[in-house]
Amino acid sequence: MPGPTVIERLVADVARQIRLRRAEFYGLRGLLWGAVAAVVPLVLKEPLGTWSYVGAAILLLAGAGAGALWGFLLKLPQADAARLVDRGYGLQDRVSTALEWAEREDRTPIVEALVADAAARADQLGARRIIPRRVPREAKFVPVPLVLGLVLAAAPPIPLPQAGLPNFSVSRDEDEEKLKERDGELQQSERRQATRRDPVQRAEVQERTLTPRLGGGGQSQPGDLAAVFKDTSLAGRAPDFNSFLKKGDDRLRMLEQTDRLPDLQSDFTQSQSRMVFQKAKALRGGLDPNKKVSPEKLRELLQEMERLGRKNQPGGGQSDWSGDVYEGMEALEGGQSDRAMEAMERALNKMRSKEERGRDGKSLKGGRESDRRGNKRGNERGQGQGGPGDEGDFPEGEGLLPGRGKSASPKGDPTARLRGNPFDVGVEGESRPGRKQGIDTNMVGRGSQMPSRMQYMGVLGQYRKMMEESIAREQVPRDFQSQVKEYFQALDEK
Amino acid sequence: MAQPPVSSQPQEQRVQEFVSAHQALRAEVGKVIVGHHDVVAEVLVGLFAGGHVLLEGVPGLGKTLLIKTLAESLELSFSRIQFTPDLMPGDIIGTNIIVEDAQARKHFQFQRGPIFGHILLADEVNRATPKTQSALLEGMQEGAVTVSGHSHPLPAPFFVLATQNPIEMEGTYPLPEAQLDRFLFKLRVRYPALEELTEIIDRTTHVRQVEVRRVLTGAQVLTMRELVREIPIASHVRDLASFIVLATHPQWERAPESTRRFIRYGASPRGAQALVLGAKVRALSEGRFNVSVEDLRATALPALRHRLILNFEGEAEGVDVDDLIGQTVAAAESMTGSEKEVFLR
Repeated sequence: MPGPTVIERLVADVARQIRLRRAEFYGLRGLLWGAVAAVVPLVLKEPLGTWSYVGAAILLLAGAGAGALWGFLLKLPQADAARLVDRGYGLQDRVSTALEWAEREDRTPIVEALVADAAARADQLGARRIIPRRVPREAKFVPVPLVLGLVLAAAPPIPLPQAGLPNFSVSRDEDEEKLKERDGELQQSERRQATRRDPVQRAEVQERTLTPRLGGGGQSQPGDLAAVFKDTSLAGRAPDFNSFLKKGDDRLRMLEQTDRLPDLQSDFTQSQSRMVFQKAKALRGGLDPNKKVSPEKLRELLQEMERLGRKNQPGGGQSDWSGDVYEGMEALEGGQSDRAMEAMERALNKMRSKEERGRDGKSLKGGRESDRRGNKRGNERGQGQGGPGDEGDFPEGEGLLPGRGKSASPKGDPTARLRGNPFDVGVEGESRPGRKQGIDTNMVGRGSQMPSRMQYMGVLGQYRKMMEESIAREQVPRDFQSQVKEYFQALDEK
Repeated sequence: MAQPPVSSQPQEQRVQEFVSAHQALRAEVGKVIVGHHDVVAEVLVGLFAGGHVLLEGVPGLGKTLLIKTLAESLELSFSRIQFTPDLMPGDIIGTNIIVEDAQARKHFQFQRGPIFGHILLADEVNRATPKTQSALLEGMQEGAVTVSGHSHPLPAPFFVLATQNPIEMEGTYPLPEAQLDRFLFKLRVRYPALEELTEIIDRTTHVRQVEVRRVLTGAQVLTMRELVREIPIASHVRDLASFIVLATHPQWERAPESTRRFIRYGASPRGAQALVLGAKVRALSEGRFNVSVEDLRATALPALRHRLILNFEGEAEGVDVDDLIGQTVAAAESMTGSEKEVFLR
């Protein structure tokens, strides 16, 4: 079939045009980079001599040639060339369709007509260039390295920077002089460092302060450790520690009089009874149920409780729980650990009750708790000390803890309420007139319909104290403690 | 297996016959219809491509007349249905009626509706209820209708030409997307130009009898439809058609900005089919044996304008779908060459 031959000839002609245009295009690109590379040997004209011209020319031509060759040999599919034939000659995709379909097995009979039509049209076409010349964008920079190269070629050689090698021709005498100078500098620097030694100076001061202390006199003695060091100015600047030593002696004397020491543990958060209580609880198996308290530990505990009782009792008399303590010790000596434990628990409860009474003033004013305490005080006054029911707020030792104490409720006793009003379930608020900035909280029950009875800040202060007591009394995790405290602090800031 | 070489002479003759028939049809329609050359050409594209055409235009522009004239120029049966809100599906498809045979036995007999015609004019199709509109669906797609479990094939060629009015939308039922998609082309009938209007006045206000000749039979139309499908298409042209359709989809990663901004749903694969088939008819009508890129460009508007659904922003800004399609085609053409080397783009 002659059709495809004509078409293929036309396509080949256009393909050749494309390759030539590509060679021009990529040759220009190669020329640019070759020119850039050619500048390097021209810069090195001084060491290279006339070879620099040769090298520059070779690089220039190699760049352009390689680019042109690359462009010429670039892959060119026939379908793309046929498409460009159609576009270039305005053949409305006849050639590309004919070329594609001529060899297809599923071609329809009309493809024969298409090929014949395309071939006829291709035969009528005169040879002309249909592929336009394209110039790469970077081609506008080609003159820059070319001109630079020409300038470098015409200019005298550029002197290259000399490398700074050390001068080995220096005489021996000079070396020795330099060595001496260097030794002198080293000695001077060592001396300077010796004078800057602060730790030595500090040790000197310590020695000075100790010397009179050992001697027992207030004046510094001549010939002491400070005199060993020649720097007497420091000795003169030393502070007078006599007054401190005098005070220190007073404190030492106070330490010997343990009964006169200020009770730093009177704070309920650090109370001794609480420490004893916690220790006893841990020994009873709070931490490890399988671990039983040893008789030695129990004895130590009882002795400590007995000591605390004597200490807290004015005049050094017997405490409320001393009887229980002695009973426990006797039981311990008889080998009855269980009885000793029970006695210790009783003593602990009494100890705790006493402590609760001691900080009665810190509790909330009013309310059932205060009333109850007031009644108890009245009972104490009327009936004398002690009594079957006088066991404090937490007679069973654990007070409000769930399942403990007098309360039969597994949840424990209810918390104390304000003024003993069972309906007074919260801080009553009053609806403010005008625009509200926020939402009133907890306005439920009767409280929401009643006017405020208590100053907010006063109530808040009472609650804060209550909170501190609760934190100290109960085993609240440290993180929760800080959260609760921050909450109250935020309320204060409001 | 390679087919035996066939002389190109009969093929050229077939193509020539197609071109002649096409020109003859246009000439016959042109006897009655003034102007609207593009609309007439695209209606003929729909006829030879085997699709259906929706004509949209304000009243009085000659839509119905154009279709009637075309039907008269073909030796084909013609039915016209005026769609109204009370039109029922049975009024289109037909219904079973009780008839008595010679032995006085009664039985049901299917009474064919107006859909059983070669050329069906569905005038003001958007005035019927969706239920009635959907009665056309099966016939348009399958070439058959089913009544009481029996399928009744429609005569071939079956060519639906529907008209709708873009104004007076009150009381209308816009065609659902599924039904719109079944139309090969949607053509916009525009106002005639001054010269054309003058010609219309001259032709229609004088005592003048125009006789339209029948130039094609149904069998010839079917033969030409087969010829259309034989037209080869180059791979790069076919790829361009795919790119055009995909570029109408806002979800496509290479979709142009205008598509992403204004289109909610793009064209379906039926759009690509319509694009290529229309391009083939156009190529044949110009006496060519292959599809070119220009054919695709020319066919894109009628083949895609009813398949694109604008989003809210597009509707709110009054974006013209035709403009969008133009941008999409341009973007698709740049996409096909963007990956090629500078000399091959």
